[in-house]
Amino acid sequence: MTAPPESPVVAENLVKRFGSFTAVDHVSFRIGRGEIVGFLGPNGAGKSTTLRMLCGLLRPSEGRAVVAGIDVVRDPESVRQRIGYMSQKFSLYNDLTVAENLRFFGGIYRVPRKERPERIRFATEMAGLAGRENSLVSNLAGGWKQRLALGCAILHRPPILFLDEPTSGVDPESRRRFWDLIHTLSADGITVLVSTHYMEEAEYCHRVALIDRGRLIQMASPAALKQHSLGGELLLVECEAIGVAMAALQEAPGVHDVAAFGNTIHILVDNAAAALQALPAYLAEHGAPLTRIERISPTIEDIFVQLVGAESRSAGLPS
Amino acid sequence: MFERILQMLIKEFLELKRDKWARFRLIVPPLVQMLVFGYAATFEVYHVSTIVLDRDHTQESRELISRFTFSHRFDIVRVAETDAEVTNGIGRSEAALAIVIHADFAKALRQGQAAPLQVIVDGTNSNTALLSLGYLDQIVTQFSADYTTDLIRRGAAGPKGKPIQVTIEPRPWYNADLNGKWFFVPGVVGSLTLVLVVSLTASAIVREREVGTLEQIIVTPIRPFEYILGKTVPFFLIGLAEVALVTLFGTLWFDVPFVGNPLILLLGTSLFLLSSLGLGLLISTVSKTQQQAFAANFLVVNPLFTLSGFSFPITSMPEPLQWLTCLNPLRYFLVVIRATFLKGTGLDALWPDLLGMAALGVALLGFSVLRFRKSLD
Amino acid sequence: MRLRRIKAIAVKETLQIRRDPISLLIALLMPFMQMTLLGYGVSLDVKHLPVCVFDREASQNSQALLKRFQASEYFTIVEGFDDYREVTTALDRGTCRIAIVVPQDFSERLSDTGSSAVQALVDATDTNTANVAIGYAQAVVSGFSASVELFVESLNGNPVARLQPVAAQSRVWFNEDLESRNFIIPGVVALVMALVGAELTSLTISREWERGTMELLISTPVTPMELMLGKLLPYFAVGMFDAGLCLGLAIFWFDVPFRGTLGTLFFTTSLFLIVVLGIGYLISTAIRSQVGAAQIGLLVTLLPCTLLSGFAFPIDQMPPAVQGVTYLVFARYYVTCLRAIFLKGAGLVDLAAPILAMILYAGIVAFLAARAFRKRLD
Repeated sequence: MTAPPESPVVAENLVKRFGSFTAVDHVSFRIGRGEIVGFLGPNGAGKSTTLRMLCGLLRPSEGRAVVAGIDVVRDPESVRQRIGYMSQKFSLYNDLTVAENLRFFGGIYRVPRKERPERIRFATEMAGLAGRENSLVSNLAGGWKQRLALGCAILHRPPILFLDEPTSGVDPESRRRFWDLIHTLSADGITVLVSTHYMEEAEYCHRVALIDRGRLIQMASPAALKQHSLGGELLLVECEAIGVAMAALQEAPGVHDVAAFGNTIHILVDNAAAALQALPAYLAEHGAPLTRIERISPTIEDIFVQLVGAESRSAGLPS
Repeated sequence: MFERILQMLIKEFLELKRDKWARFRLIVPPLVQMLVFGYAATFEVYHVSTIVLDRDHTQESRELISRFTFSHRFDIVRVAETDAEVTNGIGRSEAALAIVIHADFAKALRQGQAAPLQVIVDGTNSNTALLSLGYLDQIVTQFSADYTTDLIRRGAAGPKGKPIQVTIEPRPWYNADLNGKWFFVPGVVGSLTLVLVVSLTASAIVREREVGTLEQIIVTPIRPFEYILGKTVPFFLIGLAEVALVTLFGTLWFDVPFVGNPLILLLGTSLFLLSSLGLGLLISTVSKTQQQAFAANFLVVNPLFTLSGFSFPITSMPEPLQWLTCLNPLRYFLVVIRATFLKGTGLDALWPDLLGMAALGVALLGFSVLRFRKSLD
Repeated sequence: MRLRRIKAIAVKETLQIRRDPISLLIALLMPFMQMTLLGYGVSLDVKHLPVCVFDREASQNSQALLKRFQASEYFTIVEGFDDYREVTTALDRGTCRIAIVVPQDFSERLSDTGSSAVQALVDATDTNTANVAIGYAQAVVSGFSASVELFVESLNGNPVARLQPVAAQSRVWFNEDLESRNFIIPGVVALVMALVGAELTSLTISREWERGTMELLISTPVTPMELMLGKLLPYFAVGMFDAGLCLGLAIFWFDVPFRGTLGTLFFTTSLFLIVVLGIGYLISTAIRSQVGAAQIGLLVTLLPCTLLSGFAFPIDQMPPAVQGVTYLVFARYYVTCLRAIFLKGAGLVDLAAPILAMILYAGIVAFLAARAFRKRLD
């Protein structure tokens, strides 16, 4: 049974177990053509594993995956010509030049002879490496490698791209540039699945899938997620003795949830106005005077933490 | 100070204990190599495949052929009728030796003339060919002597006066049966130890360098030479254990005798291990990765192994190479091992070899320690 | 199967080989080093064996006998002793390998009984050298014996008594000078090829796993067969180059006689190379760490090829059980081919058996290698 053409990627109850450890726990979704979907979650959440199953690199323990209308489990080979893949380590050939890498992948994907020079030029320019075709890849900095890897993945004009943490370990400027490229590709109708552990990159996606401990917690557009009622209002507190402050805040009246964010604390309260008034004194009393307190609007990360917490609580797990 | 060294030793042994691969490498390959060398490595000649072409068909010719049949050195694989069979037989490697008895063999014998015997030997394996010819000569000489004696006894027409014969009586010393295993098995002790100790030492250090723990350790108050001791002493002990294990196996399984003084073997082994450890250390200073260590290992150990007199005698090598082997610690170690196993000689005979090993060991170890300390900075 | 993909992989592999110092080392330095080392170091020829003499008679006869030893190129007399203990010490120390002891009554017994014997005390720790030395010593003494007999008879004016009624006339075929080098060096070529071939390819797949490029590669449409062919083609070219190098050294440097045809040589070498490369590739697919693959590669080639291929130790002299095992050693067939081609001028028909064996081997290895490689991470 093939999926309707509007769904280039379909996952149905995908499960992957490694021994007794369940890496992916009944994940299901449907992606639209030309969509950019981000898989968000902490390290070890199961994002890479899910992507690899969709590419046919791992065999699911249970469930179905249909990519470009082909059942991946039954016929992984046919899928490969229709997809582009970027693995976590970029995996370019370090001892080959930029041009040699591109030519290699052009040959592997059998890009038609007539199109070859033009596609290679396109990829080179897209990566910003025009003029540096004969540099060894080992001499390139992270951002360049990243874009080159993307270029190698699109030479054969695949309708679907799977990118596994393409922005890891790359400077913020390059990351932004990279997302610009993805948007350009998406505008041309290419469906892109990207995994990342940078929560702020969710803003770049059409839809975001939040993944934690192998489970798909929520899948919606960033806007929809932010509108998700947190069940309260969010305050930010800065103070010296974070540990003491957090312990005190857990017991404070009107406080639903307390989470540390770097060297600040985010507090979920019923009534922001009331809390803004009461908390400074409360904390001073408990030996943790604060230096700043203000109201903030929730980020994806806040939502994620909340959702994960809720999931865990409902599942009876420690949050 | 000793405390730190002891700590390092404990750590090394613990790591070794947990490393299943290392344990495997310490026991299985040595034993396998011993078995293979013991059974497969042989230069002896038995069962020389032989073709016989008898054109004479007399009692004498048949008697001669029977000598070959009943000798345990020759295997008559074919009795030929034509020359072509003989040629093809040797050409196709059906047989390594062919004996052709001509039509007037017996007649010549009875008339007191030279009875020719044609022998064709496949010289491809020159060593086997030489030995086969030697054994053939023995049989022919014996046949001739018996024939002559018989003639004289019977008073038949034959040589006047007494036959004159000078012979040589070989007396093999130390290995009366010329048992090839007694030559190879002790040698395996030496070469295995070299290979093992060098590679283990080198890879142990390089692994730390690769993984990054080397840096961690340098930062501690440990002094370089304490670190080196901590790294090398375990392999020294392992080397001793290997030698003991392989010696035991060799004597028990292959019945190789051990007539010398075990203490001398111990001394020799210790001196040899100095060189081995030094080499391992040296290799670790030039290798950044396990892979490089492996390549360096092979480049160093292979020549040492080949040019040591382990299976191919040093005296057969061209002169310049013979001088080169003086720099090879394994060469001396093999002399000591073989002497201790088979000859039972003492320090008075072995001191030059022991001295050679000591000198090489100190030099190698000293040089590599210096290099190692430099590489740490 | 698509030619373009094979070509892309072959091009990539070639570029990588050119830029990888370790591969170049193995491909260029190792054959050269091994050929030189083994070509010169490996010899079974016994020459200039140190001999010491203990002549208890010191007569004209005994001197004549000992002179023969000195004249022989196989022996060099290094010392003469007057004391049995000194002889013992010399043998113990290894200053001499043979001690010739002429008894006091050597000439006396010769004129009385007509036969006399000298003793040869042989250091038999090196059994092969001892065996060969005994043979040569016997030859020297036989020669002396014949000359004495001639002398005596000619003095008496009698027709010469034939003490050796049977005169064996030996002709050596194929290696007329009985140079062990001609026997060993073709074997060395096989050994080197096996080593180099297996080491080179055993790293090829493991290296991609370790560097992470394999994960990307298996996400592409390339098939296991295409991957294998593409990767092995450049190594085949390198291997043939190395073969040319080694064989060239054998023929032009070591002067091993070459009586066969280049065509047969080329064919058998290609076949052997396919087997060797296949085995290295198989190892590489089975073991994902480069160091491990290299070690196993060495283990599988070095020991069997040195000991069980007939390279140095003749197979037909091994115990039957061990001979059976040698059928599994792929180098054995190539060694047989090389020796036959070099020394006997054998052609394809003569070598039908080892060639078929190698074809069978190649087929099995290729089959296993293609199946062993899975395009999956788990």
